[in-house]
This record gives sequence, structure tokens and C-alpha cells, in this order.
Amino acid sequence: MISSLAWKSLRHRRLTAALTVASIALAMLLLLGVERMRTESRTSFAATISGTDLIVGARSSPVHLLLSCVFHIGNATNNIRRDTARALNERPDVAWTIPIALGDTHRGYRVIGTTAAYFEHFRYATGRSLEFEAGKPFAAGAEAVLGAEVARRLRYQTGSTVVIAHGAGDISFFQHDDRPLHVVGILGRTGTPVDRGVFVPLEALDAVHAAANAQAESDPLAAALKQRDGTSSGSLTAVMLGLKTRSNALAVQRSIGEYPGEPLTAILPGVTLQEVWEITGVVERTLFAVSTMVVVVGLAGMLVALLTSLSERRREMAILRSVGARPAHIAGLILGEATLLTAAGIALGVVALYAGLLLARGWLAAHFGLFLAVAWPSAHEFALMALVAAAGFLIGLLPAWRIYRMSVADGMTVRI
Amino acid sequence: MNSPTPLRSNDAVAALRDVVFAWQAGSPPVLRVRQFDVAPRERVFLRGPSGSGKSTLLNLLAGVAVPQQGAVSILGTDLTKLSGAARDRFRADHVGFVFQLFNLIPYLTVVENVTLPCLFSERRRARAVATSGSADREALRLLEHLDLADPVLLARTATDLSVGQQQRVAVARALIGAPELVIADEATSALDADRRAAFLELLFRECAATGSAVVFVSHDASAAHQFDRSIELREINRP
Repeated sequence: MISSLAWKSLRHRRLTAALTVASIALAMLLLLGVERMRTESRTSFAATISGTDLIVGARSSPVHLLLSCVFHIGNATNNIRRDTARALNERPDVAWTIPIALGDTHRGYRVIGTTAAYFEHFRYATGRSLEFEAGKPFAAGAEAVLGAEVARRLRYQTGSTVVIAHGAGDISFFQHDDRPLHVVGILGRTGTPVDRGVFVPLEALDAVHAAANAQAESDPLAAALKQRDGTSSGSLTAVMLGLKTRSNALAVQRSIGEYPGEPLTAILPGVTLQEVWEITGVVERTLFAVSTMVVVVGLAGMLVALLTSLSERRREMAILRSVGARPAHIAGLILGEATLLTAAGIALGVVALYAGLLLARGWLAAHFGLFLAVAWPSAHEFALMALVAAAGFLIGLLPAWRIYRMSVADGMTVRI
Repeated sequence: MNSPTPLRSNDAVAALRDVVFAWQAGSPPVLRVRQFDVAPRERVFLRGPSGSGKSTLLNLLAGVAVPQQGAVSILGTDLTKLSGAARDRFRADHVGFVFQLFNLIPYLTVVENVTLPCLFSERRRARAVATSGSADREALRLLEHLDLADPVLLARTATDLSVGQQQRVAVARALIGAPELVIADEATSALDADRRAAFLELLFRECAATGSAVVFVSHDASAAHQFDRSIELREINRP
């Protein structure tokens, strides 16, 4: 009976109530969104690579190397020579190597020059290997394998032909039209940047680059572009290594750092990922603090709305008292309202979060290689919701207590 | 000075005996009443200027406030012996109120305002149902008696009614479920003189129909002659 009164009272104040709910919902959306991005980006990134013990590239920042080689974010500034890769492959402690040559695109998707070793040794998530949805790995020459997303978006099948553009931009000035590649395989969906890759043999890249160089002789713009980005023939961006004995990783890393042929950086993907988290951790903590403050502001808005309504309610109180309501009933009305507003705000915030996730999913995958799973709220997220609900209830206690005191003091005297 | 009449159960609807009330223990009392009785179906006019302890007396009769000394007996039940919750329940069951202004809850419809006591009192709900079949139908019946049956009027929110209409809705609420005592606090002060007499007639007619006694409190004695008995608060309150 009190709840039906609380509901009608809220409906009467629906504008204030709606604004209060909206502000709590936005605060909740921000809080959960920040939390979701933090955990999801970590899971997504951690699931991107597995089983690779070391990644070797030209001397540069480890974070930069990891991001460009594994996550396809940014471009590596320097390349390494093919013979360095061969030397690495011949080391007795190395089980396998995957050469990676980046710098070209196909209709906005990254082209990854590599060898068939990629399909054999690359692992993601918890040691899962790549599977073919259709076709088979490329053998050599003018063949290509597509990631699931590329094939789906561009409606390619095995047998389609793709043309590689030089440079990493979405729009490239320079198309290697005379060297079309045949799609021989399409990979199964992995939920990692692999889905967005176009995999071609190194020889195919060499061939298109040779043609590009020939053309560049007579085209200064093309020559300048080639200087700026892209791999030249005979070079690689990075090499992924698998070791025979995993525990040797640190020793091998040190020895590769001292490679006499050229300056190299070898990174342990897991360790470097930790460095990435250390960098982003500051931002995450700041965002968390900001979103917590926003929740506080949202709840403070509710407190203000409830306290302002007290003078209006003071009249209603005398009427309710006269028909038999206890001071506790009247306090309960306010507390019920605070609880209802907070609960509605939280629920709306969660709905908005999932709507946002579904909408932002494609965009995040395209721009940040971040693959979000739309899963049920985690225990931690439920804890955050419970915390906000509890805070809303506690905040409701203040106006409830005030009106309780007023109710006892005023009795049935109508005070205005 | 003769000693007050002893209390007999069901003799009076309301009876105060040797009541002393102060806002705080130790502070001078604002109310000291040796004896005040209201007989069943009696219509009592209680006159007192503001600050004469009127509100205090009403709060005592309602069981919202409890005297430091003495007994406040409603229908033979001494309110001072009941817990706060029991007093609130007792009030819901047996007492109807009409205030001077702001009688209606703005977010409830006219009918919801009238049936409000039935939310808090099972006894009054049962009585309303016994008379008309349901609380809502009893509310409509009472509203019709008070010339408020117009469906256009009922569809309006309570606050869109005129002051006179609001007062009549308040009477319907006070009377639903036939409480034994109706207390009206300056209930006609917001009405003009012509309306005042008509309002009192309606109030008396409906109270007679439900068998309720009326205690009507006002600072303005002009309506006193319409009542069975008129008392100056000064005469009974000697703090």
C-alpha cells in the first residue's frame, strides 16, 4: 500500500524523477562502461597471442613492436633483414619462426606477408590454432588467405582475386593492379586481429614491390610514399619465435639483443603486454575515479531532488498521518522512492551499456582490434551495481530521517 | 469545584481527564484540561484563538501527541496506554479529519483521496465494503451525497478542484468507513460566509447518516449556533 503511494507520488513528479533516473543511468553507464572496457580490452588483447615466446623486430620500443606486429596498431618504423630471420630460424634453441612483413593494405585491411608457418604455428586464445573455414593455406606465388571478417565484409570466396595497395592508409594512391592474387583459403573466426588480415606469401609481396619500384623510378610521389611506409623487397617487420624450451626465453631474448648483424629488439609478448597495461592503468584509474565521481554527482542530484520535495510533502504528511499513517510509513515513502529511483537508474544504465556495446562493437574491432564479448555482467560489475544501489539507499536515509523527525514534531499540524 | 465525572466505557466518544501537556518535560504546560467529553453523535463547537492550544488538543484527541499526565479516552480506550503504532491504527479505525486547507494529496485522484483511510484501516475498509460493495463505490456514493458526482469533476486531479469542492472531498474521506468521531480543524475558514453554512449542513447531514460525532474547532464563532454545544477553549484549558 505504501509502495503504491510511492509509485503514484513518483509519477506525479515524473519530470524530476525521469531526470534523476537518467542522471543515475548515465553515471552507471559510464562506471560499468569504463570497467567493461578495461576488463574486455585485457581479455581481448591477452587472447590475441598465445604460444609465441618471443617477437623480434628492429630496435624500437617493445610496446610499439608488440602493438604493430600483433595488434596491427600503428606502423613499425624500421625493418629487419631476411637473412636475420634466417639466422634466427637456424638457432638451435628455436623451434619455429614466423616472418611478418607489414605495410601494405587491401581495401583498408592490412596485408600480412608471411609464410605457411603462420598457419601451422600461430596460436591465439588458450593455445588454439588457426582453422580454415574454406580452402587451404597458400603455397607460393600469387595466392592469398583471408581473415574471416575480410572475407565476410568484402564478400570474397576462394577463387576471388585481390589486389594489394602499397601503404597502410584506407585509400592508397598506388595499386599493384597488374599483380592480382588468388584467394585460396578463408580462416575461421578467431575474434582477434587475424580476422581482419589478408595473408600473402612473402614472394608475392616481393613481386608487387619489384613492380612498384620499377614504377617509382618515374613517379616521385610513389617514391616518396615508398620511403615513408611499406616494406621494401627482402625486408621484414618482425619475426615471431617459438622456443624448444620455454624457460630459456629470457636467455634467448638477451642473446638476440646482442645479435651482431643488426640492432634488434626481442620481446616476451606477455611481459610487454604488462607494460601496456601499466601505461593504460593510469588512464584506467583516472577514468574509474572520474566515473565514480559522476555516480556521486548523480546520487547527489537525487538527494537534492528528494530534499526539495520535502516541503511539499510536509503538507501531504499531515494528511497521511490523519488517516493513520505512522511516521515510519512516511519515512518509508521517501526511502522507497530513493530506492526505486536508484534501481531504475541502474537498470537503465545496464540496458544502455549493452545497447552501447552492441553498437560500438564493430567500430572498436575495426579501429582498435578490440573484440568485445557481449557477456552477462561479471561478479565485479554486479558488485559495482550493488554498491551504487546501497549508496542510493543510504542517501535516501537522510531525507527519510528528516521527514520522520518533521512528522513526529508536526503531528497533524499542517505547516507550510 | 466539583470532581470530574468518572469514565464509563462507551459512555463518551471522546473523554479527556486531568490532561496536562507540555512540549518538553519540565517546560510550562500549554494545555491543562480537567474534563472534556463528547457524547456519541454530538456536534461540538470548540472556539479558540490561534495559540490557545487548539492544535495541541487535536493532536491529543488524534493520539499523535500524548499528555504527560491524565487520560485521553476515545470510545473507552485510553490512548495514553497504547503504543505509538497502536495509536496510529486506532486513529485510522475511529477518527476522520477535515483540515482547513491542503486536504488532498495532489498525486491521487478524487476517489483515491477519499478511499485513503481504507489503505490504513481494515475496519473502515470492511465497513465501506459492507455499505456499498467496494471502497471505490462507497467513495462515489459519499461524493454523490456531497454533490460531487459529476464525472468531469471526478476525472480532474484533486488540486484542480475549487477550495469548496476540495473541502467536500475531505468530508467524504473523513466519513468513509463510518468512523465514530470526525474532527474538523478550521474546516470552513477558507470558505466564504454563504458556502460556510451550506458546507456545515452537508457535514452534519452526512455525520448523522454515518452516526459520527463532530468536534469542530475554529477561531471564528460565527458558525457556533449551528452546533449542539459550543465551548470556549479558554473555559476548559487552564494551564
